[in-house]
Order: sequence, then structure tokens, then C-alpha cells
Amino acid sequence: MTQPSLVTEDLTIRFGGHVAVNKVSTAFRPGELTVIVGPNGAGKTTYFNLISGQLSASEGRVIKDGIDLTGMSPSARAHHGIGRAFQLTNLFPKLSVLENIRLAVQAQSGDGWRIWRAAAGFSELTARAERYLEATRLNAVAHQPAAALPHGDQRKLEVALLMAMEPDIYMFDEPTAGMSLDHAPDVLDLIAGIKTDPTKTVLLVEHKMDVVRALADRIIVLHNGELLADGAPDEIMSSQIVRDVYLGKSGVSA
Amino acid sequence: MTQTPTIGALFIKAVVLLIAAGLLFAPFLFQDVRALEVAARICVFIVLVASYDLLIGYTGIVSFAHTMFFGFGAYGAAIALKQIGNSWGAITLGTLAGMALSLVLAVAIGLLSLRVKAIFFAMITLAAASVALVLASQLNTITGGEDGITYRVPDLFKPSTKLFTDEAGKVVQIGGVKLNGKLAAYYFVFATSLALFIVMLRMVGSPLGTVLKAIRENEARAEAIGYRVVAYRTFVFCIAALVASIAGSIYAVWLKYTGPDTALSFAIMIDILLMVVIGGMGTMWGAVIGAVLMVMAQYYLRDLMSVAAEATAGIPLLPHLLEPDRWLFWLGIIFILLVYFFPKGIAGTIMDKGRRT
Repeated sequence: MTQPSLVTEDLTIRFGGHVAVNKVSTAFRPGELTVIVGPNGAGKTTYFNLISGQLSASEGRVIKDGIDLTGMSPSARAHHGIGRAFQLTNLFPKLSVLENIRLAVQAQSGDGWRIWRAAAGFSELTARAERYLEATRLNAVAHQPAAALPHGDQRKLEVALLMAMEPDIYMFDEPTAGMSLDHAPDVLDLIAGIKTDPTKTVLLVEHKMDVVRALADRIIVLHNGELLADGAPDEIMSSQIVRDVYLGKSGVSA
Repeated sequence: MTQTPTIGALFIKAVVLLIAAGLLFAPFLFQDVRALEVAARICVFIVLVASYDLLIGYTGIVSFAHTMFFGFGAYGAAIALKQIGNSWGAITLGTLAGMALSLVLAVAIGLLSLRVKAIFFAMITLAAASVALVLASQLNTITGGEDGITYRVPDLFKPSTKLFTDEAGKVVQIGGVKLNGKLAAYYFVFATSLALFIVMLRMVGSPLGTVLKAIRENEARAEAIGYRVVAYRTFVFCIAALVASIAGSIYAVWLKYTGPDTALSFAIMIDILLMVVIGGMGTMWGAVIGAVLMVMAQYYLRDLMSVAAEATAGIPLLPHLLEPDRWLFWLGIIFILLVYFFPKGIAGTIMDKGRRT
């Protein structure tokens, strides 16, 4: 088995007395797509925030390729290859679609500190941005402000930003939330495309069971902030414990 | 794949070019002492307002310490000219000292407080600016206290200096304008201001400018895609402080006087805020338009009103309303109307017009 790219060790965060994520220890490997499931409030998004750095862990560690990221800021983690798309659309609303994507490309290139040459003159950055524009089929709206896009296109732009970061670890938080049935497959095709690259690790929070079935190599179940189950899709889908959690019959506590 | 500019944007750029031409030829176009004062003040304030717009308009940082940095530059040049004498070396030294002080304070304020919420940052800048103002008026022996400092500037800028003389030894005139030291001083102000403005224009169009806009739009996402927000904010705060400081030094050289009212008071801070709002935040062109309109209003609204009051002398009530002493009242009304009809400032609102998709 390949070496894990991302490891969380006893990852924990408390808000006052409430333990939102409780000692979650697991590892993710390149070439593997792991779907994280669990009822609302299970701590899935909080777990993501701990990995990408929007929240700091109360205890435990986040390790990527042997480097401890736990104390790092989100931007430092991004430079270490952690890429994150958000559940609620989280864009640069007044900037154009192309500018949004180019910012993500530029963050990777380190050209953000160039203060003299015109940004438009960095044709390599623009060319790379245009590649992601095409991959996400947003060419037609390239010069519209992000805020003016319909919801489905905003979700696609969210994915485009993540792809443009060219990370090692792709974290998708309900990428198809609120998307119509015509648009969702576009995004899912993109994720399936990333999955074919054996060097990339994909983490996906998703509720729609058909999506989970189509994409998952592995499923982990979070419940009340704890890692409840971890295994192959068939195994997890048929397990009694997962059904109980989803149907609210869990004995752990409601 | 380039974006076509709007008709409004082309119009604003044309207006700015006209203003630039007007300032370039100001000594020849408007041949009186007051007009040249106005033109020089406009040059300095364009730079000051544009540098403030880097903070508030481009990055979304609200600071009340901008006049403090302006004041450091002005007092730096003033004290050096007073203590060392009217040499170019004194100007250079004073300007550099002002910049150094500005930089140290900007780094300190930036690193300590740009992490915290915007409102706390604004309060900290307000406190720093208040301390600077109090110090300037208390440290009598150095700053001249409330009276400020008057000093002499290099001989090149003396009105009696003849830049070019004819055979008879008299100063050469072009179009009735004497090529004297006053003219040299004006072009010193104009050229330095233009250079600073162009530097800022390049900056906002550079990759750095795109990062600043990203931080303004969505700080958390900018951080998430890999930009160190605190570092960028501190950097732009330092740049803005340095530019304001140089603008202060230039203005000190032009005025030959520096005091709390010309360089440090909160009235100037409010002027800057009004100029940036009227012109339009987040566009360098807005700084130009805001500074021109506001400085012109401050100098000429009274004149205009006394003309209007005389013209309406026969009509009841109107002459009383148009009494020149009520100019601040009318300025206030003009501001309210401007903000109402141009919610994004004059440049910002007009540039959005005629968008071609």
C-alpha cells in the first residue's frame, strides 16, 4: 500500500464544553477518494476546517507527507499542497470569473509580491487560468463578476478555484449542494477526473448516496465528532451502525 | 480574451488626462498666486488620497492615521530645513527621516493590529494619530507647537531666483509668466506627485493589486488559496504610509511653513476621507477627481457664492442663503447630493456606465 499523504492524529477541537471533533485518527493515501459521511452536525465541515487551517486544533496533529501542519495558517497549508473548496459558495464576488481563477493560480506561482509589471502581462498565469476555465466550462462567463453567476456556475467556479491551486490534497465540501440535476454531473465528472491521477488524494463530504456510490474508494463515517466507521463502500453502506446513525436510532446519544 | 473598457471608464480617463494637462500647464493657464497654491495643493492631495485609497478602497483597511504619516514627512522636512539650513541635503535628510519614522510606526501598528478586527485597527490608528498630534503641539522646542515652523527653502525655489535671464539680466518670460523660483517649486511639486501617482498606478495594476482586491473581497478565501493576508496588509499599510510621508515632505517644501493645521490635524483626515468617497473608492482615478473637486470647492466656493449673492441681490431670501459665509453649509449639501447620486463615488459610478458585455 502507498504511503499516506495526509494523516490526522487524535484531531480534536472543543468549543467551550462542546467537543465538535473528538480524537479523529486516520490516514488518506494518494490515488484514493475518501467520502466522509455523517448526519448534520457530525463535525464533517469542522474536521475539514481543522485540516485546511480555518480552525486550530485543541489537541492532535495534522501531518502531510511527514510535515506537521498543525500550527500553520491556512495560507501556509495551501503552500504545502492542501486545497479546499467550501460548502457555502466562497468566492471573490466583484471580481470576474477569470480573475478569481487567476488569483488561485497566482497564489501558487508566488507572483503575488510582484508590484511593478501589469498583472495582465503575466501571460503564463492567464494561460493556466484559462485552462481551468475551460475544464470547468466557464469560458462563456469569463468576464462576468462572480456574484452575477447562477448558483450552479458559482459552484463550478468554487471547484475551478480548488483545481487552479493544483494541490496534492483536494477537499470538496458538498460540491453539488443546491445544484440542479443538469449541472451536478459536470462537477462530478471533474472530481472523477482528478481521481484518475494516482498522485492526488481526494476527500469529499457528500450526502447524496448515488454520488457516494459512484465515486468512493473508501468511506468514513463521522458521528458526534467521532470516527464511527471506516471501510470499503459496500461494507459501510450495508452496515447496521451507519443505517442507525442516518435513521437517528443511534445509541450513542442524539 | 481582453475585457473591453466601459464608455464611462474611457470618459473618466479622458477627464483625468485633462486634469493632468491642466496641472502641467497650470502656471501658464491661471496666472495668479492663489491659483498656483490651489494647483500645488491638488497635486499633493491627489497623491495623499490615492495612497489612502490603497488602504480603504483596494484592501479594505480603515485607518485614521494617514495624516500622521503625512505629518511625519512634513515635520521631517520642516525641522531639517530649520535646523540644518535651506539645502537640498536638509530636504533629503528630513524626507528620509520622516519616511523612516513612518515605516517603523506602520510596521509596528500593522503587525500588532492588522490581525484583529477592522474596528479595533481603526481605533488603534486613531489613538496613534491623536498621540502624534498632541506631541507635535507639546514639543514646542522642536516642532514650534501650535504656531508651527517657518523656514527657508533652497535658493532655487525663491521667487526672486531667475531660472533664465535675457541679455539685460532680466528674468525670461513665456506667455507673461516669469521663469522664476516659484515656477521651479511648482514643477518640483508636480513632477514628484506625478511620479508617486504613476508608481501607485503600476502597483494596483500588478499582481499585488489583484491580491489586495482579493483580500478586500473575501479575506478568508484569499488566505485559503494561499495568500498571507496579514503580510500583504502590513505591506500595503507601509507603502501607503511611505507615500503619504513623501507627500508631506513635498508639501512642506512648497508651503515653507509646517504646523498642526497644515500637516497633522484631523480636519485633513476628514478631507481625505471625503475626497476618497466623492471620487470613488477602489480606483486611482477617483482619487484624482475627488481631490480636484474638494480642493477647488474649498478655495472657490466662497467666491462663487459671493458672485451669486450679488447677482441675486434683488430677490428676497436668496442673497441671504448665498451669503459667502455659509459656504460650508452648501458644501455639506453638495456632499449629500453627490453621495446620493453617485453611491460609488463619481469615478466609480461613471465607470460602471455603458458596460459592454
